[in-house]
Amino acid sequence: MADSPKIKLDFRKSLGNFILDINCRLETKVSAFLGVSGSGKSTLLNCVSGTLTPDEGEIAFGDEILFASASKINLPPEKRRFGYVFQEGYLFPHLTVAQNIRYGQQRSRKASIVVDILEISGLLQRYPKQLSGGQRQRVAIARALAMEPRMLLMDEPLASLDSSLKARIIPYLHHVKDAFDIPILYVTHAFSEILALADEAFLLSDGKIIANGEPHQLLTAPSVMPIAQLTGVENILSLPVTLSDKARGVTSLEIGSQQLVIPYTDAEIGGLLPVAIRAEDIIISLAPDLPISARNMLHGTIQVLDVVGERTVLSILVEGHLLSVKITHEARQQLQLQEGSAVYCVIKANAINPLRA
Amino acid sequence: MRITPAEVAALSLSIKVALLSLVITFPLGLLVGWLLAKRTFPGKVLLNTLVMCPLVLPPIVSGYLLLILLGRQGIIGGFIYQVFGIEIVFSEVAVVIAVSIISFPLLVRGIMTGMESVPVELENAARTLGASPMKVFWTITVPMAYRGIIGGTILGFSKSLGEFGATIMVAGNIPGKTQTMALAIFSAVHLGEDVSVYRLVFISTVVAFVALWLTERFTLR
Repeated sequence: MADSPKIKLDFRKSLGNFILDINCRLETKVSAFLGVSGSGKSTLLNCVSGTLTPDEGEIAFGDEILFASASKINLPPEKRRFGYVFQEGYLFPHLTVAQNIRYGQQRSRKASIVVDILEISGLLQRYPKQLSGGQRQRVAIARALAMEPRMLLMDEPLASLDSSLKARIIPYLHHVKDAFDIPILYVTHAFSEILALADEAFLLSDGKIIANGEPHQLLTAPSVMPIAQLTGVENILSLPVTLSDKARGVTSLEIGSQQLVIPYTDAEIGGLLPVAIRAEDIIISLAPDLPISARNMLHGTIQVLDVVGERTVLSILVEGHLLSVKITHEARQQLQLQEGSAVYCVIKANAINPLRA
Repeated sequence: MRITPAEVAALSLSIKVALLSLVITFPLGLLVGWLLAKRTFPGKVLLNTLVMCPLVLPPIVSGYLLLILLGRQGIIGGFIYQVFGIEIVFSEVAVVIAVSIISFPLLVRGIMTGMESVPVELENAARTLGASPMKVFWTITVPMAYRGIIGGTILGFSKSLGEFGATIMVAGNIPGKTQTMALAIFSAVHLGEDVSVYRLVFISTVVAFVALWLTERFTLR
């Protein structure tokens, strides 16, 4: 998005032993910060929203300076007009959904649009405690949007939801992204959310940005894999679609000369579909012909064998793609796995998540 | 077995004084409770200690200190006597002051506990939605702390109704003027007016029971 204002973040904040040291420009529509818990994601958003004051530095939105330690400028949160969606939702428990949404509303008609987009018109008279987790997050997003913010801050809005709910909320985030012409600053520890939503990703580690770039390139780059392992290893593959059969409920992807079967998804045949597979969801087998229900058996060789704490992390080369697999030390010993061993990666179709809405 | 005019006077004085004291202390209690629950500032511990002191001091001691302060020779009392020619001690005003000081810590305790239970994250969320600190106070902090606020108010009010030690020190026990329920019971016992004692004790017990019951109703889920 060319006309969106550039956001300048250049500040320091120390909390006890932890130091957040940020220096970057946000120039795309959806900028995402990826990091493990404790890497400073929430601190970053709190500084941007104004609920936390940095020790030193400058925060600017376009030409407007929101915080500058040198000139002692510090705009209070209520003057910044940044919608903030919290991980825990933080809906006001004593107000109904409608009252929550109206709380920050600037005498606008946007509220009804927001209610439509997030499909919460049936919930308006309820109290937050009568909502499910997914409903609560949709209301939280609606509340932040109804005030007509000039930027949206999202702090792991999906983290408190289980994976099937996440998949259902992501399309709403896409609607929001399309319907509101405002920049979004999104923080998360989940690769898949970044790939699904972000235009630019920043990797945050121990309070510092250690890499940034276009999400898909950044997150699949081999140099980033060590960080990926920190954030909970997820394999991201972009594979061509060879078959999509709604009747049988499957979609087939091509990985070299082998096939990867996933649950049916409405993808164009011949197009590339990014998918995520958690490293814990892959089973290692030495034989290909097991009588089991899992649909996928990918043949590959172990390139690297790493001991990471309680687990062994294998990097397995499958048709030119590296798959990370997490297993126990005991499994490694029993199967006598070594670098160079030929193995089969057994993957349930349902453990493969397409990353497009 | 009729209630006597003197008893009616004592009962109505008690209620009048407790209500007046509530009107005066409630806004101050909201402010002090909020400061203690939500703010950090130099002297916070000192403020807390000062406010809570009457809770731990024997009421008779609080009353004596007030007598010194408010008497014709006292700093405050002397000033008022010289400027307005009014003597505070042994008047209805003195009763109101005495019960306010004694009941204030109970009021503040309740408000403070209530406000401490309101997560700062919710208040911050309201700020990001464009609410000024004042709006946050009235629309988030106070409504969410209402159990504590009501609890503190009812406890403080009942304390005011029955206050004895500080009142008798600073306002005396003048029937029809400064004699509250508690003081009337004290006098009646001394004079051996058993029937009057029974009646007053019965009324006091009912009032206290209802107040406590109301507190529990509003503060327990």
